[in-house]
Amino acid sequence: MDSTLDSLLLGFSVALQPDVLLYAFVGCLVGTLVGMLPGIGPLAGISILLPATFGLDATKAIVMLAGIYYGSQYGGSTTSILMRIPGEAASVMTCIDGYAMTQKGRGGAALCIAAVGSFVAGTFGVIMLTLVAPPLGAFALRFGPPEFTALLVLGLVFLAYMSSTSLVRTLLMASVGLLLGMVGIDVMTGHFRWAFDIPELGDGIGIVPVAVGLFGLGEILSTPSRSVTTKVVSPRLRDLLPSRTEWREAAAPIARGSVLGFIIGIVPGSAHIISSFLSYALERRLAKNPEDFGRGAVAGVAGPESANNAASTGAFVPMLALGLPTGPVTAVLMAALLIHGIPPGPQLVTEHPQVFWGFVASMYVGNLMLLALNLPLVGLFVSVLRIPYAYLYPLIVMFCILGVYEVNHSIVDVWIMLIMGVAGYLLRKFDFDPAPLVLGLVIAPILEMSLRQSLVMSNGHWSIFVQRPIAAALLGLCAALLVLSALSILRRRRDWRTKLAAEEAGDAA
Amino acid sequence: MSTPGLDRRSLMLGAAVSVPALSLGPAHAEDYPSRPITIINPFPPGGAADVVARPFAAVVEPIIRQPMVIETKAGAAGAVGAQVAASAKPDGYTLLMHLVSISGFAEVDRLFGRKPKFTRDDFVPVARLIADPCVLIVNDQQPYKTLQEFVDDARKRPNELLFSSSGLYGALHLPMALFMKAAGLQIRHLPTNGGGPALTALVGNNAQALVSSIAAASGQMKAGKARALASFGATRAPAWPDVPTMKELGYDLEYYLWVGLFAPKGTPEPIVTKLRDVTRQAAASDAFRQAMTNLGQDVAYQDQPEFRTFWDADARHIEDAVRSIGKVEG
Amino acid sequence: MRLKRDTVAGGAFVGLGAALWASSGDLPVGSLAMPGAGMVPMIAIGLVMVLGGVLLVRGTAGPSLSADHWSDADHAIRVVVATAIATALYTRLGFLITVPLLLFGLVGLVERRNIVAAAAFSIGVTAVAWLLFAMLLKTPLPPVPWS
Repeated sequence: MDSTLDSLLLGFSVALQPDVLLYAFVGCLVGTLVGMLPGIGPLAGISILLPATFGLDATKAIVMLAGIYYGSQYGGSTTSILMRIPGEAASVMTCIDGYAMTQKGRGGAALCIAAVGSFVAGTFGVIMLTLVAPPLGAFALRFGPPEFTALLVLGLVFLAYMSSTSLVRTLLMASVGLLLGMVGIDVMTGHFRWAFDIPELGDGIGIVPVAVGLFGLGEILSTPSRSVTTKVVSPRLRDLLPSRTEWREAAAPIARGSVLGFIIGIVPGSAHIISSFLSYALERRLAKNPEDFGRGAVAGVAGPESANNAASTGAFVPMLALGLPTGPVTAVLMAALLIHGIPPGPQLVTEHPQVFWGFVASMYVGNLMLLALNLPLVGLFVSVLRIPYAYLYPLIVMFCILGVYEVNHSIVDVWIMLIMGVAGYLLRKFDFDPAPLVLGLVIAPILEMSLRQSLVMSNGHWSIFVQRPIAAALLGLCAALLVLSALSILRRRRDWRTKLAAEEAGDAA
Repeated sequence: MSTPGLDRRSLMLGAAVSVPALSLGPAHAEDYPSRPITIINPFPPGGAADVVARPFAAVVEPIIRQPMVIETKAGAAGAVGAQVAASAKPDGYTLLMHLVSISGFAEVDRLFGRKPKFTRDDFVPVARLIADPCVLIVNDQQPYKTLQEFVDDARKRPNELLFSSSGLYGALHLPMALFMKAAGLQIRHLPTNGGGPALTALVGNNAQALVSSIAAASGQMKAGKARALASFGATRAPAWPDVPTMKELGYDLEYYLWVGLFAPKGTPEPIVTKLRDVTRQAAASDAFRQAMTNLGQDVAYQDQPEFRTFWDADARHIEDAVRSIGKVEG
Repeated sequence: MRLKRDTVAGGAFVGLGAALWASSGDLPVGSLAMPGAGMVPMIAIGLVMVLGGVLLVRGTAGPSLSADHWSDADHAIRVVVATAIATALYTRLGFLITVPLLLFGLVGLVERRNIVAAAAFSIGVTAVAWLLFAMLLKTPLPPVPWS
């Protein structure tokens, strides 16, 4: 414990040097700006800006990259809440209730809650990282393909709670997402699936263009400009800050989201994306009024945003404790270290304590900086909505094209976004909710791969899923949840779907 | 140049002082380059080609007095970027930085009965920059101390051991396929979606063996989480003198994760000559050498003629490996 | 008989499933122990078609497709066409030409705002975005082909 404290002090002595502090700030600022571009989330953010850090020394480079990473996450939630444009897959859930809050005039409150939730979750994550990284790293290693499969199945079980539409519609959308996720080269056998001779489709349909198209562009297409009456809301401070009730509603989801997100984050692989989906579903499951979700429920913003941030901190655990690049983001960060002559590996902590602890300490500082940077800007961000809509939406369309193109320099991605925009418009006309589609698209490729990897490991025996304790426990949890929800449907007690259906019938009548 | 990093300004200053005036090619290439040159990086930022291309560009820029822009066109394990480069205008303004895996795509296409979108003939090799020999590593919980023990056990239990790779027909799958063919082994293949996940699978003991580049695996090797049984280099790696080479152990195998610079087919000879000159100077510079040392690599420069010979031989092995893997059914 | 909303939607999804089924004949399905490249896609197609079918059948009792629901379609089509043109031109003509055209097209032609204001807006936004990316962030945007 003492040694941890000493090391942390060493870290702060590095992180609080004026020039390191400056780079952390620049990273946060640039990250926030870039993250506000549609489609550019943390991964694209640090990928695009990685070259800009090549000229710095190792500590400054990684501190700045960490700032960019956090900053782009914050920036992504800003556009999700104000304009319904997800910066990345993880902020899809923030779009739903965050944008609904904006439409109710509570956009400022939603931004504040997202910022504070992210801060709490991020700080919680770093504290856990400081205290228990090594044992957690060992735990993370026990997550092989079978455990990963079980975790994703758990994600699918929660699917039913994600949407306000009927179960058939929700499942149908998820299945379409599953279908879209199958496009591309099959990792296990090398077959092309529905790639139609377009090499860019070899890696599959990206989540980013689909999410930006379905949500962002779809929203623009279904909002004809004449129907928009620009409400000149006087941005009084009181309107920008969350009310006491809203704070109270946000507290528990933030706490739950932080823990849930961190645990999912340490699992190697791309599971961190599903943390926000899981958190949303969990909050809805626990909520007193699940029917409020989708209409601007505070918990629907607080939970997923916190989970998302905690998960991204959790992803650093295997990277720092084991020296393994377990996810795409950590892979880029480790490449950055490598470029500066710091070979990734379990020895990172002992061989380069300055870099390691400086990085950890700068995460504390960075979180605080982002909070200080973002809260005062909430008023400014909200007033962006006062730009006349006829000028605002062309601007958004332009940034959608620019952002989606920059991620991979692929014009095919921009076409996918446009097609998905049209799909989003049509789906809305036919009363479908695109969120389960995105979840299906996120889960499909990784679920299929980990399932088939598990079967390769067991040589075709499905018993591998019950022989490995963690996988068996997760699958047991899935079964229990399914039984529980079956029971509650049978009893028809407190079933929010029936309430909702009754209300809809009432509206129609 | 006080810092060993990639500070552009100090590089520029250093280059202005130390680099002699270029001997220019024949008349019409004299003004090449007259505008920025684009290098296509077919892998994600921070990937194997990117980390070489960036310092390379930083060194080349002051020599050619034009910007050298890295454009990332990642996708399909490097096939997208290669195809973009293959169909680019062959004027010397679009180049490609690619890896050993460039040789395998056409063969995989043939295997599936598809018309290859590009072949090796679509590119003119300019120079090889680095070549990192691979190592065969096993998880430290496995009992094998020597390659022979591993081979014996694998032979005793065919199809029971597992090796992970960066992906089917990927740069880390091919050397294992070559080794399995040479040793007559059957080991199950656990494909993942990249070098990082492949290493994670090995360290987590979900796979017992992996062929990895030394640079990527050295951290885990130093920590004792992975044990190297043999290297695919021509000689033992200076940093790992105890690891025998495949050749010493009786397997005639060499496999490097090399990175080279290519131009599209049809690029005028004088321009290619000029590019070779520039690349030679860049590869010899201290700044580039230092950047490669940081990556745990040595500059393994080969000019066009040598590189072409090397590439032809290397590609034959790789096509062999692809064919020996064959089409995975099921 | 008036078309029902869910009948149309369900039918569309059944059709989508059928089309994809038809275009994936050569994918090996494999076995349950070793699923092939076609296994999960077939399951997904099956799910889409079954659920689409349920929607189709149940749709007869649902709300019908009404014309006034589609009053915003002409605006949506105009925006889609403008975006499609911009996408087609983006890598060919570069950022500096395509983007002002797109912005002017949307503000000036689709929204019929003041031409001068629209032109100033388009050029101003393009310049700021270009400066931000090319100068500050040093990330190349698609260049004008003849630069």
